[in-house]
Amino acid sequence: MRAMDEISVSQSQAQKREKRKLALNIAAYLCPIIIIVVVFVFAPLAIILFFSFLKSGPYGQIVYTFTFENIGAILGGGYGKIFLQSIYLAFQTNLLCILFGYPIAYYITRFGGKWKTLWIFLIIVPSWSSYLIRLYALKTLVGTKGTVNTLLMNLGIISEPIQILYTNFAVTMALVFAWLPFMILPIYAALDGLDRSVLEAATDLGATPFRRFFRVTLPLTRGGLLAGSILVFIPTVGEWLVPSIFGGSKIMMAGSLVAHKFTAVGNIPQGSSLAIMLAAMLVLILYLTIKWGGREALEKAL
Amino acid sequence: MKKKRIASKILWVLSILTLIFLWAPMILIIVFSFSNNKYGSSWEGFTLKWYVKLFTNDQVRDALMRSLIIAGVTVVVATLIGTLTAYGLYKLNFKGKQFLRTSILLPIVFPSVVTGSALLVFFTRLVHIPLGYTSIIIAHIVFCSPLAVFIILGRMQRFDWSWEEAALDLGATPFRTFLRVTGPQLLPAIMASAMLIFPWSFDDFVITYFVAGVGSTTLPIYVFSQLRFGATPVINTIGTLFVSITMLGMVLVYFVQKMGKSNT
Repeated sequence: MRAMDEISVSQSQAQKREKRKLALNIAAYLCPIIIIVVVFVFAPLAIILFFSFLKSGPYGQIVYTFTFENIGAILGGGYGKIFLQSIYLAFQTNLLCILFGYPIAYYITRFGGKWKTLWIFLIIVPSWSSYLIRLYALKTLVGTKGTVNTLLMNLGIISEPIQILYTNFAVTMALVFAWLPFMILPIYAALDGLDRSVLEAATDLGATPFRRFFRVTLPLTRGGLLAGSILVFIPTVGEWLVPSIFGGSKIMMAGSLVAHKFTAVGNIPQGSSLAIMLAAMLVLILYLTIKWGGREALEKAL
Repeated sequence: MKKKRIASKILWVLSILTLIFLWAPMILIIVFSFSNNKYGSSWEGFTLKWYVKLFTNDQVRDALMRSLIIAGVTVVVATLIGTLTAYGLYKLNFKGKQFLRTSILLPIVFPSVVTGSALLVFFTRLVHIPLGYTSIIIAHIVFCSPLAVFIILGRMQRFDWSWEEAALDLGATPFRTFLRVTGPQLLPAIMASAMLIFPWSFDDFVITYFVAGVGSTTLPIYVFSQLRFGATPVINTIGTLFVSITMLGMVLVYFVQKMGKSNT
């Protein structure tokens, strides 16, 4: 009896020691990141959540009275429309990115050969060069006095510049231009990791190339498509620069609305409520995508 | 076989067109940065005068210095935090680990306007950190550290840990083991993450714009302020330098990673 007691005592002591060691290790390695997450991620989110229920005074000061006005303006009012339009634009961008991105990713994997690294390099560089500069470059190309218009006018094809800027087309094109690399790379990774023998088996069993693509290749690269869609869709909904450079005042998106409220109007409660709703909406979309799309497929891709 | 060749031709054409779409605007501003045209939007003979103008422009120099300092500090701190965190997440098992992992991702998952505005309100209304260097560097560390964590963590998962065990078994202290065994093995991943964080921090416009306040013009903010006046040749030269430096960095990362692969 006594011996067993001693064993259990020393066991619990050992457990305690283990626990203390773990706590010490967590403190040593994870302390900085926990501080960042708690102080600089959670606390700011909490404070804008708090501010979304307040009012703004006539001089941009915050009036400490509780109100659902801001949230109501999004759920039922005109801001809700802008949110829906952003989701629509982001969805459209996502589809176009898949449409343009899949062929090039497929080409690089199957026929890239010794040029593979160069192809990938040429796709990665735009994704890491300055985003602002790239948008500016696109504007130089398609603007009213831009290269496309100047060229067409000099060739005598058109007599007046085509209005490309400040249209839906311009915004969509700029969004695809900005985010396409982030779709190509995950699809490429998924295709590259595909087991060739599965494809050979499909062919041996008599599948036509067309059928093989839709029944084997596409389902097996679902993870890549999903990862790419997350990388494209989420920042697109929150886009600020593209609608403000290519849409002017005509086309607003959720992100540009948030920026407008903070930087131009200075209405912190309204801006906060828009930011919180945008974040909540995206977390919900992300959660549903992962749930329906399958966590495993995604984790494999990432 | 013939069918296959046609299919590959069609795919090739599509791929080239996509590549042209991605690169044409960039190539255009690179070409125009050497053009005599004073609006920087057409070709009028070769000149280097815009580059001379760029390097003698005080505003650009100040903005560049500011961006370099911010990116430099961010790279060092974020990489350090990223390495520690990745090691902790890989080695330790505890309650709430999944929650922590998800929370770390938040600053990258949220759109920049959300992170930027939340931090702005936090700095100005709650803790009263003056907007400027401090607020910008904190914001950059917040959105760059997660990137470092997941780059280094990804590398750790494909890692031969028996070396570390051997060192510990042979009586090396944990500190010495990290310094002499684990650290050097992780070095390629740490360097790769530093090289990816640098452009992330250096290029960031949206979050920086929110927390910069008045007078802390970084290079992207300078470029943005110039955009309102339309195209200028000086922005073409900045763009050209950005792209060249990115390409140089990419080549460097490629070789560092190749070195890392041949070492292990």
